[in-house]
Amino acid sequence: MAKDRAQRDDYTTPLRRLFMGIVVLCLLGIFLVWRIDSPRVERFRAQVVDAVVPSMEWAMIPVTAAINLVRDFQSYQRLSEQNQELRSELRRMRAWKEAALQLEQENARLLDLNNVRLDPRLTYITGVVMADSGSPFRQSVLLNVGERDGIVDGWAAMDGIGLVGRISGVGPDTARVILLTDASSAIPATIQPSGQTALITGDNTPAPAVEFLESRELVRPGDRVVTSGDGGVFPAGLLIGQIAADPGGRLRVRLSADFERLEFLRVLRYHSAAPIRDPGGIVGPQRPEALLPTEEAADG
Amino acid sequence: MDSAASRLWLMRGLYLFLALTVMFFHLLPLNTQPGRLPFPDFLICLTFAWVLRRPEYVPTLSIAAVMLMADLLLQRPPGLLAASVAIGSAYLRSAGPGMRDVGFVGEWTTVGVVIAAIFAFNRTVLALLSVSQASIGPVFVQVVFTVLAYPLVVAFSQTIFGVRRPSAVDVATVGTRS
Repeated sequence: MAKDRAQRDDYTTPLRRLFMGIVVLCLLGIFLVWRIDSPRVERFRAQVVDAVVPSMEWAMIPVTAAINLVRDFQSYQRLSEQNQELRSELRRMRAWKEAALQLEQENARLLDLNNVRLDPRLTYITGVVMADSGSPFRQSVLLNVGERDGIVDGWAAMDGIGLVGRISGVGPDTARVILLTDASSAIPATIQPSGQTALITGDNTPAPAVEFLESRELVRPGDRVVTSGDGGVFPAGLLIGQIAADPGGRLRVRLSADFERLEFLRVLRYHSAAPIRDPGGIVGPQRPEALLPTEEAADG
Repeated sequence: MDSAASRLWLMRGLYLFLALTVMFFHLLPLNTQPGRLPFPDFLICLTFAWVLRRPEYVPTLSIAAVMLMADLLLQRPPGLLAASVAIGSAYLRSAGPGMRDVGFVGEWTTVGVVIAAIFAFNRTVLALLSVSQASIGPVFVQVVFTVLAYPLVVAFSQTIFGVRRPSAVDVATVGTRS
């Protein structure tokens, strides 16, 4: 029996090795293509995710619901406390609602006086969070709105209160949002009330770090952080969070958006800078085509 | 003969289905907060456990396709981890038959070394090509967890799916040429 197998292996092992080598070379080739021309491969990845994940959605929803049910079940012990907290919060929200209504009326009156039209730039598209990034090193979520709903790479995503992240990767039906807590996320921001600009970079912790801050003494924990609109990357004035100092003394941002319960995200439409399509005539005037044949006739 | 062939294809399909289930659980939006402990890489454990026991159930093409799909869905550089897992599984496939006598501990150490080599290769190539990647701490923790999870995956495969090394009985029924 062993001899039979050895004879068969003599024929198949080199073939199998060759096949293995080809497969490994193809995979490494894909990796090199990704390294060289990343946007194309990332578009391919967005299309693959777009094809695969929505088909799993029908199974994800009941499982997520069941797990959330178990989680809520565990919090039943604190039911009466939560009730009290919610009641007091509701009272505070009602007071704020009154103030907001009055301000809205005053705003309408003043705008009317000025005959001003508000910029329709900041309309939004709402999406539902479908899936996680799947990896503990990458913080991103998948939304169920995509190219078909008009989503474009680079737009900001907020939940009801504060900034959540940025769109990076759009398929026909889905879009990926890179969260502020991801290590590759960097948002230019302004710190109120001192008005200084800084960069909010994520580093895989729940509170992103504040970098490139000019004078640290002017900033105190509790200051508001809003986007600055620098570079036309994001619209200005979106709330990010509040400054906090970690035990090492480093300044971090405590995010206002509720990252534990991301369900509905708003993607803000923002057309800031026109995309560059041609060199803009820097390279030299284009020779008119009609001249060429007469030159040749002169030569000949 | 027919039942053997259909069982072969059934188990290959089962491998693909298990891989899809693992990825499905990775993608569930349960916790969007960072800072959780990295979970072990069950796909690699499953692949290696099956390659050492029944290499015919995990053909190279299956492994490559599953790992490439995992790379694409889990936001990793596509193709790199897939290539290293394919090389690792080819090595284990050739070393598999010789590992019957060393017992489980020997097998576990070999698999542990191969997993560590795979992750080290991954990090080196990414560092050489200046691709930004996670810091070494969580990745090291993930390697340790993966190696620790390997016996669980082996027990799971052996008891629930019956993926064991071919014993004398199986060889007698399958080994004849027909």
